Amino acid sequence: MMKVFLLGLALLRVDSLMYPAVISPQDPTLLIGSSLTASCSVDAGSSLRAEDLYWTLNGRRLPAETYEVLNATTLSVTISSLNGSQQQSGDNLVCHSRDGGILAGSCLYIGLPPEKPTNISCWSKNMKDLTCKWAPGTEGETYLHTNYTLKYKLRWYGRDNTCQQYHTAGPYSCHIPKDLALFTPYEIWVEASNRLGVAVSEVVMLDIVDVVTTDPPSNVHVSRVGDLEDQLSVRWSAPPALKDFLFQAKYQIQYRVEDSSEWKQVVDNVGNQTSCRLAGLRPGTVYFVQVRCNPFGIYGSKKAGIWSDWSNPTAASTPRNGRATGVCEPKNGEHNNTLRRELKQFFGWMRKHGSSYGCANLSIKMYDQWRVSLQKSHKTRNQVLSGDKS
Amino acid sequence: MAAARRSPGSSPHHTDLCCRTVLLLRKMRADVSRLLEAYVEKQGLDKNFSLDLVDGVPTASTEQWSEASDAERLGDNLKAYWAFQTLLNEILEEQRSSLTPNDLDFHESIQSVLLQVSALAYQLEELMVMLEHSVPAKELEGIRGARERGLFEKKLRGMKVLQELAHWSVRSVRDLRQLSKPVQTGAIPHVSCCLALKK
Repeated sequence: MMKVFLLGLALLRVDSLMYPAVISPQDPTLLIGSSLTASCSVDAGSSLRAEDLYWTLNGRRLPAETYEVLNATTLSVTISSLNGSQQQSGDNLVCHSRDGGILAGSCLYIGLPPEKPTNISCWSKNMKDLTCKWAPGTEGETYLHTNYTLKYKLRWYGRDNTCQQYHTAGPYSCHIPKDLALFTPYEIWVEASNRLGVAVSEVVMLDIVDVVTTDPPSNVHVSRVGDLEDQLSVRWSAPPALKDFLFQAKYQIQYRVEDSSEWKQVVDNVGNQTSCRLAGLRPGTVYFVQVRCNPFGIYGSKKAGIWSDWSNPTAASTPRNGRATGVCEPKNGEHNNTLRRELKQFFGWMRKHGSSYGCANLSIKMYDQWRVSLQKSHKTRNQVLSGDKS
Repeated sequence: MAAARRSPGSSPHHTDLCCRTVLLLRKMRADVSRLLEAYVEKQGLDKNFSLDLVDGVPTASTEQWSEASDAERLGDNLKAYWAFQTLLNEILEEQRSSLTPNDLDFHESIQSVLLQVSALAYQLEELMVMLEHSVPAKELEGIRGARERGLFEKKLRGMKVLQELAHWSVRSVRDLRQLSKPVQTGAIPHVSCCLALKK
């Protein structure tokens, strides 16, 4: 710390000094591939002379063969085939004295004019606002800072409005929070401008009711279905923000096991219902579940609607197999296969000897039907299990 | 010179304020160092550039540091941080409007240091009032000259501001330590700053 302080003390106070040279042009904007000739003129009253000077661009010394002494106090440099600016703040073209001191500097902005923005898409959250995003032109950013302005107007009689809240849904987006009309189409377009020009996108036309999305479903609850080890029940609430509007809702549900990052989408386009049962799950496993909503047909809109974000994950676990813990049980599938094999042998035996017992129509299919009914009814399962034990 | 002219006694409130100021200075020093690194990189500058030609930035160096009175010491600090408030605002505006308009995170880093400088100035002013030193007049006019600067000069100026702010954050801690030292005459220490000062 002391060292730094002493270093600070060693600095001399400097007031009202001027740079002893001037670079022309100052802070020019140029097209990629073009050439630039700049000159550095030192103050005639100083001891500096043109032949003592040299140039750097972004810290790299430019070769002497690109210099020309224009007069005793002016040195020029010519740079050909300029590349796009290395940094957003501009390339640093600097004129130095023989000892490396900085005499003057100029920032070069080298790039391309903007291209037309494309792929404008918009959505309205609960019909209260409008957010639009777009893609920059095919060249993307053009080395120069490019300003994007989203404009909109009511189709037949509106005046141009300019969106004010940018970057709300990513780098190329804008949010209009209020004062939006329904049932009248809007014309929406994006203007891109930078130091080298302006480009305007195609105009997109839309009605707010056709681009409505909503909040993720709230109150998502996941719970067990009795002792059924391969099922979970999911319940949720419809989006409250749209309760006063006439609309239909589609829902999607996805789940994943705790130690996997891969979501499995299990239910698509559930109608207006707000519950669902997941089946075929692994016993004794923690699952994360998410739900999303697509409100469509608002005020009779014929458009497909826009899916909400997924709800926050809700976790629940399936019950473990109903056997004594601490015992090394065969895996569920193996257990079923063993049982099934034994039953098949039993039914084969029954067919052979069935007539004497009056059960000639028994077959393995009945076992399969019994398994289905087992999945459906916890009560039935308990009865069967207690029957097994007895 | 005026080192022995001290008003009597320290209070827990003085000590607490002094501690908070030192902690803030330490935090600011770390943040300014990081900001300076980022600044140099984003402007394409070289840390070894000589910045002697950049004017209008309060320098931490002084030839009579040990001879200053408490009031002078605190007053110099206060005036410097007021100046840095103005200078950082200018840097932020230049970055937003011309130099790095897309780099919102960078702007936030500058804003964060600016807030720390404002808080520091406020605490120093409070300390001066508590110690019954007269607070220096705040010059409303900015300290920079009216001359229009090119963008490269603005880049260099920003670098100088951050370098000097880093130096000031070191000097200010030493200034506060100096305030907390017992007076040579054997009187009660004027302000007792927290142990953090001794690190």
